Amino acid sequence: MIEYSDVHKAFDVPVLSGINLTVDTRETLSIVGPSGTGKSVLLKTTNGLLVPDRGDVRIDGVSVYHSARDALTEIRRKVGYVFQYAALFDSMTVFENICTGLRDGEARRARTPEILRKVCESLEDVNLEPALVLHKLPSELSGGMRKRVGLARAIVGRPEILLYDEPVTGLDPVNTAAISRLILEIRERSHVTSIVVTHDIQQALEISDRVALLTHGKLRFVGTPASFRDSSDPVVRAFADRRVAAEAALQLVERGQPEEETEEEP
Amino acid sequence: MRKLLLKTVFGLLARIGRTAEGGFRNAGEMTLLVWRVAVATITGRVALRDVLIQLMSVGVGSIPLVTVTAVLSGVVTSQQGGYQFTSSIPLYVLGSVVTSSVVLELGPVMTSFVLIGRVGARITAEIGTMKVSEQIDALHSLGLDPVPVLAAPRIIAGTIAMPLLVGLADFIGVFAGLVAARFAVGLGPDSFLFGARMFWHSWDLLYSIAKGLVFGFVIPLISVHMGFKTLGGAEGVGRATTSAVVFMIITVLVLDATFPPLFLN
Repeated sequence: MIEYSDVHKAFDVPVLSGINLTVDTRETLSIVGPSGTGKSVLLKTTNGLLVPDRGDVRIDGVSVYHSARDALTEIRRKVGYVFQYAALFDSMTVFENICTGLRDGEARRARTPEILRKVCESLEDVNLEPALVLHKLPSELSGGMRKRVGLARAIVGRPEILLYDEPVTGLDPVNTAAISRLILEIRERSHVTSIVVTHDIQQALEISDRVALLTHGKLRFVGTPASFRDSSDPVVRAFADRRVAAEAALQLVERGQPEEETEEEP
Repeated sequence: MRKLLLKTVFGLLARIGRTAEGGFRNAGEMTLLVWRVAVATITGRVALRDVLIQLMSVGVGSIPLVTVTAVLSGVVTSQQGGYQFTSSIPLYVLGSVVTSSVVLELGPVMTSFVLIGRVGARITAEIGTMKVSEQIDALHSLGLDPVPVLAAPRIIAGTIAMPLLVGLADFIGVFAGLVAARFAVGLGPDSFLFGARMFWHSWDLLYSIAKGLVFGFVIPLISVHMGFKTLGGAEGVGRATTSAVVFMIITVLVLDATFPPLFLN
């Protein structure tokens, strides 16, 4: 379980103003909201990448900010983080990148075939052919493939919690759907608790148990996708209507446009 | 008029205050970085493989450029010395002038400039790019500490490689000066070495290597620190790299100026 208690954060101007939120074990929660409203900042406070000015975040009852360094390392090992632009290590191959996601010392202790098996399994989990990408550098991969390698790195250590920071940003609709499907598959297979920060409201409604709308540093709405769709709150409605508009645009494209490239160039 | 004067004075004072605050903050952060590198090294959290990779890059990779710089330093010192000593001063003194200039000053300082340009700037740009592209955050999120992974290998490698490079630069510089003296002013190798030995102190070589040790520690320390502090995108990386190079050159020159009163008296 993840608990945010009165989380405040400011960078010159307030970004988060007293966030109180609980994410249950094995739940998938999507955080949506306008750009620059603090969605990624909130996500980064979850595993201590950003320290809140006030408040606390607890994971399974353990405070992220009032624990010893070793406890924080242990918390981070429990949490897989999928970065917006994958954040793969440029100088390492896909294999080496994914190895960094293995638990401390595991890569050193385990025999190479075991590591290779784990890495290949995680690549297969994200629908990538290991033989094709294992020895490539991140610069040799397309945008969609990089995101999936980033996801493979996050899941190879079998985390209990997965945090997704804008997992479909910059991807075309086909890859967006593929990533959404992956998030669902990983949840079903690994029973992980997931928080997905996204600006894609359609994706949020498809994959989530609950949706949270963050505006002006505060949670405006937290509820199920159904209650989000039916909400009478004008701000929530604006987001829901944008989804309708996006769906209409996509249908138009699917009807009239020829198929284009499916992967965004890195 | 008085208002304008007060505004200018207070503006100037505020600027000095901000600069001093920045200086103290940098000093504090670098001291903390040194402490964390020391702890990571002592507790065996720095991979030998990473240090060897950096040694190849910092040390072996710098040899060609250090060689060129040392040859030119020796040749120029010899030529200019020869030009000045053509009247009353015995020509063999040129051996001492070239040796002392290269060993005490040009060897360590020119090698440090090579290291700043070739290695320091690269380290800042590399770590800065990792910072702005969230790769440092990725390390944190994977439970890995960037200090033993990124900072310590570079600082250890710089501290080991630089004294060796300075020793090499000293030897090559003096040898190049000896050859140049023959062609520039007709001073033979025996006379050159006679002059060099006449005023030679063995301490001078140690002094030169000690300079290399200090510069070799400080250059990667500043470059790593500036890399970790990088903010913004590509522009931020460029700004951090420029600041790091200026910071490193000034630090090396200030440290260089503190060496003679401390160790040559």
